[in-house]
Amino acid sequence: MTLIEFRDVSYVHPGGAAALSGVSLAVESGETVAVVGENGAGKTTLVRHTNGLLRPTSGSVTVGGVDTRKTTAAALSRRVGVAFQNPDHQIFSESVESEVTFAMKNFGFDDALVSRRLDWALNFFGLEEYRRSSPLVLSGGEKKRLTLACILAWDPEVVVLDEPTVGQDALQKEKLAQILGMLRSAGKTVILVSHDVEFLWPIQPRLVVMSGGRVVADGEMATIMSDRGLLEGARVTQPQLLRTYAGLSRRPARPFLDVLGARDWVSGLRPREGEG
Amino acid sequence: MYWLSGGFVFKRVVSPFNRLDPRVRLLIAAEFFLLSLMAQTIWQIVLLVGAILAISAVARSLRRIGRAVAFSGVFALFIFGVNFVLGLGLLHAILYAARFLAIISSTSVFFVTTSPDELEQIMKWMGFPRDVVFAFVTAVRFIPVVMLDASQIMDAQKSRGLEFEKGSLLKRAKNLVPILVPLVVNSVVRSGELAEAMESRAYGSTPRPTSLYAMRATWYDWAACVLSLALATAAGLYIYHHFPFG
Amino acid sequence: MSARTSGPGRKTLASVERLSFRYPDSARAAVRDVTLEVGEGEVVLLAGPSGCGKSTLLRCINGLIPHMYHGEYQGRVVVGGLEVAKTPMSTLSENVGFLFQNPENQIFMFSVERDVAFGLQNLSVPREEMRTRVDEAMRLLGVSNLATRAPHELSDGQKQRTALAGVVAMRPRLVILDEPTSLLDPKTALEVAELIGRLNRELGITFIIVEHRLELLVPLAHRLVVMEGGSKVLDGAPEEVLSDPRVESYGVNVPPISRLYTSLARDGIRLPRNPSTPEELAQEINDL
Repeated sequence: MTLIEFRDVSYVHPGGAAALSGVSLAVESGETVAVVGENGAGKTTLVRHTNGLLRPTSGSVTVGGVDTRKTTAAALSRRVGVAFQNPDHQIFSESVESEVTFAMKNFGFDDALVSRRLDWALNFFGLEEYRRSSPLVLSGGEKKRLTLACILAWDPEVVVLDEPTVGQDALQKEKLAQILGMLRSAGKTVILVSHDVEFLWPIQPRLVVMSGGRVVADGEMATIMSDRGLLEGARVTQPQLLRTYAGLSRRPARPFLDVLGARDWVSGLRPREGEG
Repeated sequence: MYWLSGGFVFKRVVSPFNRLDPRVRLLIAAEFFLLSLMAQTIWQIVLLVGAILAISAVARSLRRIGRAVAFSGVFALFIFGVNFVLGLGLLHAILYAARFLAIISSTSVFFVTTSPDELEQIMKWMGFPRDVVFAFVTAVRFIPVVMLDASQIMDAQKSRGLEFEKGSLLKRAKNLVPILVPLVVNSVVRSGELAEAMESRAYGSTPRPTSLYAMRATWYDWAACVLSLALATAAGLYIYHHFPFG
Repeated sequence: MSARTSGPGRKTLASVERLSFRYPDSARAAVRDVTLEVGEGEVVLLAGPSGCGKSTLLRCINGLIPHMYHGEYQGRVVVGGLEVAKTPMSTLSENVGFLFQNPENQIFMFSVERDVAFGLQNLSVPREEMRTRVDEAMRLLGVSNLATRAPHELSDGQKQRTALAGVVAMRPRLVILDEPTSLLDPKTALEVAELIGRLNRELGITFIIVEHRLELLVPLAHRLVVMEGGSKVLDGAPEEVLSDPRVESYGVNVPPISRLYTSLARDGIRLPRNPSTPEELAQEINDL
């Protein structure tokens, strides 16, 4: 089932600069889609169209069959939860608890549901101990998790994450990868906007490459990432494991998707040395 | 709103007027400002505004100054209305409104053609304390940055179901909290980072910092200065002669 | 051979001696008993999980601590023969430059060239000399053609290069970079990383860099230092530190090629050295 559909969408900023031109894209229910491209390629503008923050200048965007021009961002957000890059652009409450319940109250959830979802979110994201603390005392990584908790608490059908790994250390990234895994197995639709090709590579999402306001590639990540000419033009980097694979004189039919896979293949190359 | 405020925001262009020393541009704007205050008939105002528009055409900023005038149009109408209702007569009401527009366009001519860096130099030349000048320059420098912050915060809160334009006046006022709190917090964090960066680049280490550029008046500036002073004095004397004040 | 094996000078430029620092409003020390020597011409990467004390250590080296932030300070930091705690910020700023994460918050002026001149103005450098140094710094960082642009007319990468030009114009011997590329896209970040490498090789500037994206900077680094809980826990050549079994538990984003190298070694397959680029790793595997 198609959840979000862009039909020949163009968007021109009030100042006059075109940010999207002729974008067509259909996101199916349960898919994980990653959007990559250099800064200014139109990714952020694309994201702002998924929940009606921006409306197309021409063409149309539909969410669950509803044209975004015929409804409000607040109503669409009930179905499409967007977590923006900078948590400091949304944190305002006196406590972590009220930060999480803010959206649910806006959406008119009843009290029993609000408190049930709050408990679940705080527990799931490991924020229980901060329930009554000010969100401002949280570390950068915790703030990032709080913004995710705020969104998943109202259980949207689509989760959009804008640069979730920026400034995150390895441990925080691992946690994020686990959360993504759980979202996928729960059947959620996930849209990831990210520069972090190393993070995306083992996940192998459907990949959308943007450049100059257009979608220049859309498909399997392994295939697109092997097209060096295309990546060069869009100023997107290649994952390290793929670059290693490309440099091998003898190599398996398909590139390594993770370090384990690569190790197993290289180990099979020759009998092991003695210890030492 | 943003479009209209463009009438007071500097844009870099090359023109005979922009080439002038910023102090001379300030002088010319000030002359127009004073003459607008003195003018006693609508025709005088029309002449003044005509001259200002001619200068803006030379400075290739006619459009931007037009925006300033459009921006002030609402206030001008208000001034007209108040004066008219107060019974000062149609002619006076028009005169006051027109005078307001003349004052706005003379101010706009200066701000549209003067970069904040030049403003800084003028303020220093006038002897403002360095900290005051720097605070002013930084405030102007960060207007677009804070505006971007505000729009990103509004997007984030709308994405959490906040509807600004809904509900009673009290509800709407309360709706501003989720916008204002992050905006203030971000500005405080930003000013902390600015302070670190300033400190790391030796801000305040000498009482008399040097400058990459000096304002140096050339014959061209002196000529413009003398010519504009002569014309303004003549115009002032004419007005005074025909309509002695007091 | 890569630049890193040719080795930096042996002369010490900066030394941190048993340094501890605690912020007044905090219960525990942000930096605990850290000792670190940085040689002239070295590029040192500083890694560790969020809140491990990296940023505090950087601020102790350039003097923001204790000159701007006060607190419980023990130990000594010496840069270029000057004891940081006893030297005024203005003198320090000529020896230690600091580039921050967010380029937006370190550009004060309305044109690139005026901003590059900012520090020199503060030091009362005469105008002619200032002109030369500003032009030189803009040329080195590739922003000469942007000289009269305003900050809002620059891309993020251009802003960061402008800020770096402002630091380089002051001709510091040591430049500290606090997550300089984390807000840039990978290609732009790579360009900034290459510029850093050039400044190191051509001008001999010493760098201390905090960055999560190690794969960008490992190729130009001589050393990798890892901190946790305010203490220094690992210190050595990047290839050694990245093969240390503990390194991932410290939250360091170990590049996939280093992880592959290490897990092969655990399997008994020893490649000649921990690679700094994927192409190098592929070559090593081809040679097996």
